[in-house]
Amino acid sequence: MELVNIFIKSAFIENMVLTYFLGMCSYLAVSKTVKTAFGLGLAVIFVLGITMPINWLINNYLLAEGGILGQDLTFLRLILFIAVIASMVQLVEMVIEKLSPSLYNSLGIFLPLITVNCAILGGNLFMVTREYNFTESVAFGLGGGFGWFLAIIAIAAIREKIRYSNVPAPLRGLGMAFIITGLMGIAFLSLLGIDPAAF
Amino acid sequence: MSKLLDFAKKIEPKKGTLAHTLYDGFFTFLFSPDEVTHGGTHIKDGMDLKRTMFHVVIALQLCYLFGTYNIGHQHFVAIGEHTSFLEGFYLKLFYGLGKLLPIFIVSNVVGLGIEFYYAWKKGHSIEEGFLVSGALIPLIMPPDIPMWILVLSVAFAVWIGKEAFGGTGMNIWNIALLARVFVFFAYPTTISGDEVWVSGLASTAAGSGAEYGLYHDVCNWLFGLFGAAGFNEAATVVDGFTGATPLALAYQGGWEAVTQVYSEAQMWWGGIPGSIGETSKPLIIVGALFLIATGIASWRVMAGMLLGAVVTGMMLNGWGATPFMEVPWHYHLYMGSFFFAMAFMATDPVTAASTDVGKWIYGFMIGMVGLIVRILNPAYPEGWMLAILFMNTFAPLIDHYVLEANMKKRLKRA
Repeated sequence: MELVNIFIKSAFIENMVLTYFLGMCSYLAVSKTVKTAFGLGLAVIFVLGITMPINWLINNYLLAEGGILGQDLTFLRLILFIAVIASMVQLVEMVIEKLSPSLYNSLGIFLPLITVNCAILGGNLFMVTREYNFTESVAFGLGGGFGWFLAIIAIAAIREKIRYSNVPAPLRGLGMAFIITGLMGIAFLSLLGIDPAAF
Repeated sequence: MSKLLDFAKKIEPKKGTLAHTLYDGFFTFLFSPDEVTHGGTHIKDGMDLKRTMFHVVIALQLCYLFGTYNIGHQHFVAIGEHTSFLEGFYLKLFYGLGKLLPIFIVSNVVGLGIEFYYAWKKGHSIEEGFLVSGALIPLIMPPDIPMWILVLSVAFAVWIGKEAFGGTGMNIWNIALLARVFVFFAYPTTISGDEVWVSGLASTAAGSGAEYGLYHDVCNWLFGLFGAAGFNEAATVVDGFTGATPLALAYQGGWEAVTQVYSEAQMWWGGIPGSIGETSKPLIIVGALFLIATGIASWRVMAGMLLGAVVTGMMLNGWGATPFMEVPWHYHLYMGSFFFAMAFMATDPVTAASTDVGKWIYGFMIGMVGLIVRILNPAYPEGWMLAILFMNTFAPLIDHYVLEANMKKRLKRA
């Protein structure tokens, strides 16, 4: 039950994009069509879901004072987390290139850029500050990734829909994407404040 | 009639001026334009956007009448005069008019003003998209809303919510609800709590006085001419009056706490505090049936929403962790603004999903999310506004996948 709570909370109530405004760069850049957004969203779920437990192990058994090295190495946390994320992204990239070359081409530079996607590093650091245990960190990773996935396919569908709208010239493109994101944030406020653990 | 038409043609101003934009807007209101489409078109009937919108306005009229009267009724209940529903009819009516008319005029002047300006700027005829929003916004506001907040919220909704997206029919989120959500998050004290739903009182604490101004003095003078009783300037709030809405009571103590203050009939017929137009359920249902009969609103969205709310209500009944969760599911339908949201807000054809299957999903999800927000979220007393905005966000996505599934099915068949 606790795991379900964490999943729901990180996916809907404290959405990575719409509540913390993390991972904006790829969110805005790759949300022009639903198809590519779907692909990138899945990649983010995968990377978050995989790096979270790995980084949990590293943090607790390597870097923490009671770990195998017997030293407090938490100052290395940032650099090690990024290294893990980068290698995982490399893995995802190879898999996507093999399985779906067309998706690989349409994602372009933004696939390797997941490495520096702040949603992923942010999620990993949240995991540390919130002191999740191993299984909780898996649930949190999958939930956060799912929330990000949901947000990006929703905005992609909206942007597909307004493609033929008579948007005022200065707002076309990114300007509109920012306005849409803001309004989506308002809509997601509906769930903010629900505490699944309270029931 | 034809003479009038000739006269109207004669005073037509030059094209491209602001005057012409205005003229065109009002002209097409009264007459069908005589310009016809060149080239091949397919016409179903003479139903254009303006007439579609006007049907919704007609459907809202009963809510307007009742809302006006109910503002007055709640006020007099609070100060303990004319407490039975039909007593002091003219007083309640005039009191309500004094509250509702300024709200209606201000929201329409601001909204239509922005719309007229953009129509002139872009050089096309006025789209009148605000006609329905302008009729809906006053009905979902508390009666005592300060005018400057109303102006800000309407301007926000029309500017950011509609004109930025390219005008009428292009918006993703419901305009009326965007105006309300703006007030809700920017000025929460004016639209939530127990104090705001009964108008014209300094506070709802016992002994605080009613606020009467120049308008009421004029009314008193008028009533005096006919020898009728006027507003009592010395009136104070009676002991034990709280002004709490049924939902606020239910949140604290479940269904029993509600029935101690309001009877079921009161909640059904609408003599309870609340936003101006949402209290009377039978009148809203009449409006909804009218919209379904004329084919303006989608019955699929309504049915989906009803189903979603009922199913979610039953599930939460089964869970039953708090007194609010134990409130039987059918009472949830008439405690708050469920019917108003279902009939007039969720069915907005622009912001709802546009495929048939999509409409069912969209409606069902609104019913579900709305009840979840209402019951599980301690931060908000009511859920439908936020639930509809939430599902507006996902409506294009639902449509996208419904279309894609359909294409796949057809490709397989071919």
